[in-house]
Amino acid sequence: MAAAASASSPTSPAAVTERRGIPGASFVEDVETYLKQSGLDANSSLAFLQERLQQYKIVEMKLLAQQRDLQAKIPDIEKCLDVVATLEAKKGTGEALIADFEVSEGIYSRAKIEDSDSVCLWLGANVMLEYSLEEAKALLEKNLENAKASLEVLVADLQFLRDQVTITQVTVARVYNWDVHQRRIKQATKEE
Amino acid sequence: MYFAKRVEELIRSSSADRFGAACGSSGEASVPKMQKGEGSEAQVTWEDQQNINKFGRLNNRFHELEDEIKVAKETNENLEDASNELILSDEDIVRFQIGEVFAHVPREEVENRLEKMKEDASKELERLEEEKESILAQMAELKKILYGKFKDSINLEED
Repeated sequence: MAAAASASSPTSPAAVTERRGIPGASFVEDVETYLKQSGLDANSSLAFLQERLQQYKIVEMKLLAQQRDLQAKIPDIEKCLDVVATLEAKKGTGEALIADFEVSEGIYSRAKIEDSDSVCLWLGANVMLEYSLEEAKALLEKNLENAKASLEVLVADLQFLRDQVTITQVTVARVYNWDVHQRRIKQATKEE
Repeated sequence: MYFAKRVEELIRSSSADRFGAACGSSGEASVPKMQKGEGSEAQVTWEDQQNINKFGRLNNRFHELEDEIKVAKETNENLEDASNELILSDEDIVRFQIGEVFAHVPREEVENRLEKMKEDASKELERLEEEKESILAQMAELKKILYGKFKDSINLEED
């Protein structure tokens, strides 16, 4: 059940080990036991944690880029749906739709769109298909739903990732502090 | 990430004695604070960690919301301007943007569409403002709890 976010377990810190390829950061109850268990000294452990932070950073960049793409795609699909809805509304009346469209930057031309039962949809990869108005609407609505669902999953992934980053940063601070504390104790006993 | 860089600098200067907990993992609210003396002994429990995580998440959402509110305000203003222009003009056919083209639409229909768009936009803005208020309240609560336990060892302010 790797999909559970760590905030949903109020009692046990045995959180998620990973989520969709993102390694989970295990919460450290006590710094000393953590260092003994891993067999690392403070410096190596800090180095390891820093490396983890870098990996998280890379994944975060990737997810943010994907999120930006999706956020741009959604308004596009909504605009297309708008046009299809307008054509549908015009269908009954028998009037032609007159529209000004952009031929090139700053240059517009007038088009007269007669009553029609079908539209062509650009599917990407230089492919365009003709659909009936109902089919086009259904396809666009399905695409919109998929895009919104993917965006939700992406946002949840990003939240999980940021939580792991925070946990790791706090662990770094605690390990460092513990190390400094140890050094001071050693210093104090040496001086006695 | 600001905090990670600072920690590296601190590690190199081994005589330092500092503790700082980072919050707001996008680097916006993370400033390690100097602290002389023993170094804090307050242990970080899982519950504390979850609170810190939650604060970070709220902080991120708060900044995203600020951007979204800015866009929503602009949209509202544009719609206002558009409807004012419409009142001033006296054409019967208005070129109304649908998708990427400007369709010739009779004036009345444009008025109706514009009214509906303005309503939707202002509802959206209201919703965003409410979410922002709620997030600010939650963040204030968490600040109280975390400062209560960690006092000076933690910094939850923006840079």
